[in-house]
Amino acid sequence: MSQRQEPGTDGGRGAGYLVVRTFGELLVTAGIVVLLFVFYALYVTNWTSAQLQSESDEALTERWQEDPGPGQGTSVLPGEAFARIYIPALGEDYRYTIQSGVDADALEIGPGHYPQTAQPGEPGNFAVAGHRNGQGAPFNALDELVSCDAMVIETDRDFFVYRVLPLADEVGDWDVVRDGRPECAGVPSLRSVGDNEPYGDTIGRKIVTPDRADAVAPVPYRPQDTLSRIDQAALITLTTCHPQFSDRERLIIHGVLTQQIPKNQVNGDYHRLLDHIGEA
Amino acid sequence: MYAWIWRHLPGPTPLRALIAVLLIAAVIALLMLVIFPWLEPMLPFNQVAV
Repeated sequence: MSQRQEPGTDGGRGAGYLVVRTFGELLVTAGIVVLLFVFYALYVTNWTSAQLQSESDEALTERWQEDPGPGQGTSVLPGEAFARIYIPALGEDYRYTIQSGVDADALEIGPGHYPQTAQPGEPGNFAVAGHRNGQGAPFNALDELVSCDAMVIETDRDFFVYRVLPLADEVGDWDVVRDGRPECAGVPSLRSVGDNEPYGDTIGRKIVTPDRADAVAPVPYRPQDTLSRIDQAALITLTTCHPQFSDRERLIIHGVLTQQIPKNQVNGDYHRLLDHIGEA
Repeated sequence: MYAWIWRHLPGPTPLRALIAVLLIAAVIALLMLVIFPWLEPMLPFNQVAV
Protein backbone atom coordinates (compact mmCIF):
# COMPACT_ATOMS: atom_id res chain seq x y z
CA MET A 1 0.00 0.00 0.00
CA SER A 2 1.48 3.35 -0.98
CA GLN A 3 1.75 6.01 1.64
CA ARG A 4 0.22 8.95 -0.13
CA GLN A 5 -1.04 10.55 3.01
CA GLU A 6 0.93 12.10 5.77
CA PRO A 7 1.42 9.49 8.49
CA GLY A 8 -1.01 10.07 11.29
CA THR A 9 -4.10 10.47 9.23
CA ASP A 10 -6.34 7.81 7.82
CA GLY A 11 -6.75 9.64 4.62
CA GLY A 12 -10.32 10.49 5.20
CA ARG A 13 -11.35 6.85 4.64
CA GLY A 14 -14.13 7.06 7.18
CA ALA A 15 -15.18 5.27 10.33
CA GLY A 16 -16.16 2.02 8.64
CA TYR A 17 -12.64 1.49 7.36
CA LEU A 18 -11.23 2.16 10.80
CA VAL A 19 -13.58 -0.33 12.45
CA VAL A 20 -12.80 -3.06 9.94
CA ARG A 21 -9.08 -2.50 10.19
CA THR A 22 -9.11 -2.52 13.99
CA PHE A 23 -11.18 -5.71 13.97
CA GLY A 24 -8.64 -7.31 11.65
CA GLU A 25 -5.77 -6.22 13.86
CA LEU A 26 -7.48 -7.72 16.90
CA LEU A 27 -8.00 -11.02 15.08
CA VAL A 28 -4.35 -11.19 14.02
CA THR A 29 -3.34 -10.37 17.60
CA ALA A 30 -5.59 -13.10 18.97
CA GLY A 31 -4.02 -15.59 16.56
CA ILE A 32 -0.53 -14.65 17.71
CA VAL A 33 -1.59 -14.97 21.36
CA VAL A 34 -2.97 -18.47 20.71
CA LEU A 35 0.28 -19.50 19.02
CA LEU A 36 2.22 -18.10 21.97
CA PHE A 37 0.06 -20.17 24.31
CA VAL A 38 0.82 -23.35 22.37
CA PHE A 39 4.50 -22.48 22.59
CA TYR A 40 4.07 -21.91 26.33
CA ALA A 41 2.15 -25.13 27.03
CA LEU A 42 4.47 -27.39 25.02
CA TYR A 43 7.88 -25.77 25.54
CA VAL A 44 8.03 -23.17 28.29
CA THR A 45 6.41 -25.55 30.82
CA ASN A 46 9.11 -28.10 29.90
CA TRP A 47 11.82 -25.64 30.89
CA THR A 48 10.14 -24.81 34.20
CA SER A 49 9.58 -28.48 34.95
CA ALA A 50 13.16 -29.39 34.01
CA GLN A 51 14.35 -26.85 36.55
CA LEU A 52 11.99 -28.18 39.25
CA GLN A 53 12.98 -31.76 38.39
CA SER A 54 16.68 -31.09 38.73
CA GLU A 55 16.14 -29.35 42.08
CA SER A 56 14.04 -32.28 43.25
CA ASP A 57 16.70 -34.75 42.10
CA GLU A 58 19.41 -32.92 44.02
CA ALA A 59 17.26 -32.71 47.15
CA LEU A 60 16.56 -36.44 46.98
CA THR A 61 20.24 -37.33 46.62
CA GLU A 62 21.00 -35.10 49.58
CA ARG A 63 18.26 -36.60 51.73
CA TRP A 64 19.41 -40.14 51.04
CA GLN A 65 22.98 -39.21 51.94
CA GLU A 66 21.90 -37.54 55.16
CA ASP A 67 19.59 -40.26 56.36
CA PRO A 68 20.85 -43.73 55.50
CA GLY A 69 18.88 -45.18 58.40
CA PRO A 70 16.39 -48.00 58.02
CA GLY A 71 12.86 -47.44 56.86
CA GLN A 72 11.65 -45.13 54.12
CA GLY A 73 8.72 -42.98 53.20
CA THR A 74 7.89 -42.25 56.80
CA SER A 75 8.15 -38.49 56.51
CA VAL A 76 7.55 -37.75 52.83
CA LEU A 77 5.56 -34.55 52.41
CA PRO A 78 3.11 -34.09 49.52
CA GLY A 79 5.04 -33.02 46.44
CA GLU A 80 8.32 -34.25 47.88
CA ALA A 81 10.40 -36.81 46.01
CA PHE A 82 10.99 -40.22 47.62
CA ALA A 83 12.12 -42.43 44.71
CA ARG A 84 13.41 -42.37 41.15
CA ILE A 85 12.13 -44.09 38.04
CA TYR A 86 14.32 -45.25 35.18
CA ILE A 87 13.02 -46.78 31.94
CA PRO A 88 16.02 -48.04 29.94
CA ALA A 89 13.88 -48.68 26.84
CA LEU A 90 13.12 -44.94 26.64
CA GLY A 91 16.78 -43.96 26.74
CA GLU A 92 19.84 -44.50 28.85
CA ASP A 93 19.37 -41.12 30.50
CA TYR A 94 15.65 -41.59 31.21
CA ARG A 95 15.50 -40.71 34.89
CA TYR A 96 12.92 -38.83 36.96
CA THR A 97 12.22 -38.39 40.62
CA ILE A 98 8.83 -39.65 41.82
CA GLN A 99 6.95 -37.20 43.99
CA SER A 100 4.31 -38.05 46.57
CA GLY A 101 0.85 -37.16 45.25
CA VAL A 102 -0.81 -36.76 41.86
CA ASP A 103 -1.99 -33.15 42.16
CA ALA A 104 -0.89 -30.49 39.67
CA ASP A 105 1.95 -29.21 41.85
CA ALA A 106 3.52 -32.65 42.27
CA LEU A 107 3.12 -33.56 38.60
CA GLU A 108 4.73 -30.32 37.49
CA ILE A 109 7.97 -31.60 39.03
CA GLY A 110 7.78 -35.09 37.54
CA PRO A 111 5.87 -38.35 37.88
CA GLY A 112 3.73 -38.57 41.05
CA HIS A 113 2.80 -41.50 43.26
CA TYR A 114 -0.87 -42.20 44.08
CA PRO A 115 -0.55 -41.82 47.87
CA GLN A 116 -3.05 -44.56 48.77
CA THR A 117 -1.25 -47.20 46.70
CA ALA A 118 1.61 -49.53 47.65
CA GLN A 119 5.20 -48.42 48.19
CA PRO A 120 7.90 -49.67 45.78
CA GLY A 121 8.47 -53.40 46.08
CA GLU A 122 5.42 -54.04 48.23
CA PRO A 123 2.67 -56.50 47.31
CA GLY A 124 -0.18 -54.58 45.72
CA ASN A 125 0.08 -51.82 43.18
CA PHE A 126 2.75 -49.12 43.15
CA ALA A 127 0.92 -46.57 40.97
CA VAL A 128 2.46 -43.50 39.34
CA ALA A 129 0.93 -40.79 37.13
CA GLY A 130 2.84 -38.52 34.75
CA HIS A 131 2.33 -35.90 32.06
CA ARG A 132 2.35 -36.94 28.44
CA ASN A 133 2.58 -33.46 26.89
CA GLY A 134 4.20 -30.40 28.40
CA GLN A 135 5.54 -30.02 31.94
CA GLY A 136 8.51 -32.24 31.16
CA ALA A 137 6.25 -34.91 29.58
CA PRO A 138 7.97 -37.77 31.43
CA PHE A 139 5.39 -40.27 30.19
CA ASN A 140 5.27 -39.03 26.60
CA ALA A 141 6.57 -42.26 25.07
CA LEU A 142 4.85 -44.71 27.40
CA ASP A 143 2.95 -46.19 24.45
CA GLU A 144 6.27 -47.41 23.00
CA LEU A 145 6.84 -49.86 25.86
CA VAL A 146 6.48 -53.53 24.99
CA SER A 147 6.25 -56.60 27.17
CA CYS A 148 9.22 -57.28 29.46
CA ASP A 149 10.64 -53.74 29.13
CA ALA A 150 12.23 -52.83 32.45
CA MET A 151 10.98 -50.07 34.75
CA VAL A 152 13.49 -49.52 37.53
CA ILE A 153 12.47 -47.85 40.78
CA GLU A 154 15.25 -46.59 43.02
CA THR A 155 14.54 -46.05 46.71
CA ASP A 156 16.97 -45.12 49.46
CA ARG A 157 18.17 -48.72 49.82
CA ASP A 158 17.08 -50.75 46.79
CA PHE A 159 16.62 -50.93 43.07
CA PHE A 160 13.29 -52.59 42.23
CA VAL A 161 13.11 -53.95 38.70
CA TYR A 162 9.60 -54.19 37.32
CA ARG A 163 8.84 -55.48 33.83
CA VAL A 164 5.89 -54.78 31.57
CA LEU A 165 3.36 -57.62 31.63
CA PRO A 166 2.40 -59.48 28.43
CA LEU A 167 0.31 -57.37 26.05
CA ALA A 168 -3.25 -58.27 25.09
CA ASP A 169 -2.29 -60.32 22.03
CA GLU A 170 0.52 -62.14 23.86
CA VAL A 171 -1.08 -63.18 27.10
CA GLY A 172 -3.00 -66.14 25.64
CA ASP A 173 0.10 -68.15 24.77
CA TRP A 174 2.64 -66.33 26.88
CA ASP A 175 4.85 -69.40 27.37
CA VAL A 176 5.30 -69.64 23.61
CA VAL A 177 5.74 -65.90 23.04
CA ARG A 178 8.37 -65.41 25.70
CA ASP A 179 10.35 -68.45 24.67
CA GLY A 180 13.82 -67.28 23.65
CA ARG A 181 13.42 -63.85 25.24
CA PRO A 182 15.70 -63.93 28.27
CA GLU A 183 14.37 -60.60 29.56
CA CYS A 184 10.97 -62.28 29.99
CA ALA A 185 12.26 -65.09 32.20
CA GLY A 186 10.80 -63.66 35.40
CA VAL A 187 7.63 -62.19 33.90
CA PRO A 188 4.54 -64.27 34.69
CA SER A 189 1.25 -63.91 32.84
CA LEU A 190 -0.47 -63.83 36.27
CA ARG A 191 -3.19 -66.01 34.79
CA SER A 192 -2.81 -68.85 37.31
CA VAL A 193 -3.03 -66.81 40.53
CA GLY A 194 -6.01 -67.71 42.71
CA ASP A 195 -9.54 -68.55 41.62
CA ASN A 196 -11.62 -66.54 39.14
CA GLU A 197 -8.51 -65.06 37.56
CA PRO A 198 -8.13 -62.01 39.78
CA TYR A 199 -5.55 -60.66 37.31
CA GLY A 200 -7.70 -61.54 34.29
CA ASP A 201 -7.88 -57.89 33.18
CA THR A 202 -4.30 -57.01 34.05
CA ILE A 203 -2.23 -56.84 30.87
CA GLY A 204 0.86 -54.86 29.96
CA ARG A 205 -0.88 -52.00 28.17
CA LYS A 206 -4.47 -50.85 28.49
CA ILE A 207 -6.56 -47.89 27.41
CA VAL A 208 -9.29 -47.07 29.91
CA THR A 209 -11.79 -44.31 30.52
CA PRO A 210 -10.81 -41.66 33.08
CA ASP A 211 -13.28 -42.98 35.66
CA ARG A 212 -11.43 -46.28 36.08
CA ALA A 213 -9.83 -45.42 39.40
CA ASP A 214 -9.61 -49.17 39.97
CA ALA A 215 -6.72 -49.30 37.48
CA VAL A 216 -4.55 -48.46 40.49
CA ALA A 217 -6.35 -50.84 42.89
CA PRO A 218 -4.13 -53.47 44.60
CA VAL A 219 -5.53 -56.01 42.14
CA PRO A 220 -6.26 -53.84 39.09
CA TYR A 221 -9.93 -53.57 38.01
CA ARG A 222 -11.05 -55.68 40.99
CA PRO A 223 -12.51 -54.70 44.37
CA GLN A 224 -10.05 -53.85 47.14
CA ASP A 225 -10.58 -57.13 48.99
CA THR A 226 -10.13 -59.48 46.02
CA LEU A 227 -6.94 -61.01 47.38
CA SER A 228 -5.39 -60.84 50.80
CA ARG A 229 -2.28 -58.67 50.83
CA ILE A 230 0.06 -61.63 51.08
CA ASP A 231 -1.38 -63.18 47.88
CA GLN A 232 -1.17 -59.99 45.86
CA ALA A 233 1.46 -59.70 43.14
CA ALA A 234 3.84 -56.75 43.46
CA LEU A 235 2.77 -54.60 40.52
CA ILE A 236 3.66 -51.21 39.11
CA THR A 237 1.09 -49.13 37.25
CA LEU A 238 1.92 -46.04 35.18
CA THR A 239 -0.90 -43.76 34.03
CA THR A 240 -0.97 -40.86 31.59
CA CYS A 241 -3.46 -39.21 29.26
CA HIS A 242 -4.57 -40.74 25.97
CA PRO A 243 -4.68 -40.01 23.12
CA GLN A 244 -2.00 -37.33 23.17
CA PHE A 245 -3.34 -33.82 23.78
CA SER A 246 -6.65 -35.23 25.00
CA ASP A 247 -8.23 -36.24 28.27
CA ARG A 248 -10.71 -38.62 26.72
CA GLU A 249 -8.97 -41.75 27.97
CA ARG A 250 -6.00 -42.91 30.02
CA LEU A 251 -3.06 -44.99 28.89
CA ILE A 252 -2.17 -47.57 31.53
CA ILE A 253 1.02 -49.64 31.73
CA HIS A 254 1.07 -52.55 34.16
CA GLY A 255 4.29 -54.26 35.21
CA VAL A 256 5.32 -56.86 37.72
CA LEU A 257 8.25 -56.92 40.14
CA THR A 258 10.92 -59.31 38.91
CA GLN A 259 14.01 -58.36 40.94
CA GLN A 260 14.98 -56.49 44.07
CA ILE A 261 18.63 -55.50 44.14
CA PRO A 262 20.07 -53.79 47.22
CA LYS A 263 21.90 -50.67 46.15
CA ASN A 264 25.10 -51.63 47.94
CA GLN A 265 25.29 -54.71 45.70
CA VAL A 266 25.85 -52.47 42.66
CA ASN A 267 27.53 -49.59 44.50
CA GLY A 268 24.33 -47.58 44.15
CA ASP A 269 25.18 -47.13 40.48
CA TYR A 270 22.39 -47.35 37.92
CA HIS A 271 24.71 -48.33 35.07
CA ARG A 272 26.16 -51.20 37.05
CA LEU A 273 22.59 -52.23 37.80
CA LEU A 274 21.86 -52.29 34.05
CA ASP A 275 24.85 -54.60 33.58
CA HIS A 276 23.59 -56.73 36.42
CA ILE A 277 20.08 -57.15 34.99
CA GLY A 278 21.31 -57.56 31.40
CA GLU A 279 19.90 -54.27 30.09
CA ALA A 280 23.20 -52.54 29.32
CA MET B 1 -5.28 0.37 16.62
CA TYR B 2 -1.55 -0.22 16.12
CA ALA B 3 -1.28 2.87 13.93
CA TRP B 4 -2.97 4.86 16.68
CA ILE B 5 -0.52 3.55 19.29
CA TRP B 6 2.42 4.31 17.00
CA ARG B 7 1.18 7.86 16.49
CA HIS B 8 0.95 8.43 20.24
CA LEU B 9 4.44 7.17 21.04
CA PRO B 10 6.75 10.07 21.82
CA GLY B 11 10.07 10.96 20.23
CA PRO B 12 11.76 10.33 16.90
CA THR B 13 11.37 7.07 14.97
CA PRO B 14 14.27 5.12 16.60
CA LEU B 15 12.95 5.95 20.06
CA ARG B 16 9.42 5.01 19.05
CA ALA B 17 10.68 1.70 17.70
CA LEU B 18 12.49 1.02 20.95
CA ILE B 19 9.40 1.80 23.03
CA ALA B 20 7.28 -0.37 20.73
CA VAL B 21 9.66 -3.31 21.21
CA LEU B 22 9.57 -2.79 24.98
CA LEU B 23 5.78 -2.69 24.94
CA ILE B 24 5.61 -5.95 22.98
CA ALA B 25 8.08 -7.55 25.39
CA ALA B 26 5.99 -6.40 28.35
CA VAL B 27 2.82 -7.89 26.86
CA ILE B 28 4.59 -11.22 26.16
CA ALA B 29 5.96 -11.27 29.71
CA LEU B 30 2.49 -10.65 31.12
CA LEU B 31 1.11 -13.52 29.04
CA MET B 32 3.93 -15.96 29.87
CA LEU B 33 4.27 -15.16 33.55
CA VAL B 34 0.70 -14.46 34.64
CA ILE B 35 -2.03 -15.32 32.17
CA PHE B 36 -0.74 -18.58 30.65
CA PRO B 37 0.21 -20.18 34.00
CA TRP B 38 -3.33 -19.45 35.15
CA LEU B 39 -4.88 -20.84 31.98
CA GLU B 40 -2.66 -23.87 31.55
CA PRO B 41 -4.08 -26.16 34.29
CA MET B 42 -7.38 -26.10 32.43
CA LEU B 43 -5.88 -27.84 29.41
CA PRO B 44 -7.40 -31.27 28.83
CA PHE B 45 -4.12 -33.14 28.49
CA ASN B 46 -3.11 -32.21 32.02
CA GLN B 47 -5.55 -34.83 33.32
CA VAL B 48 -3.28 -37.84 33.65
CA ALA B 49 -4.54 -39.58 36.78
CA VAL B 50 -7.42 -42.01 37.11
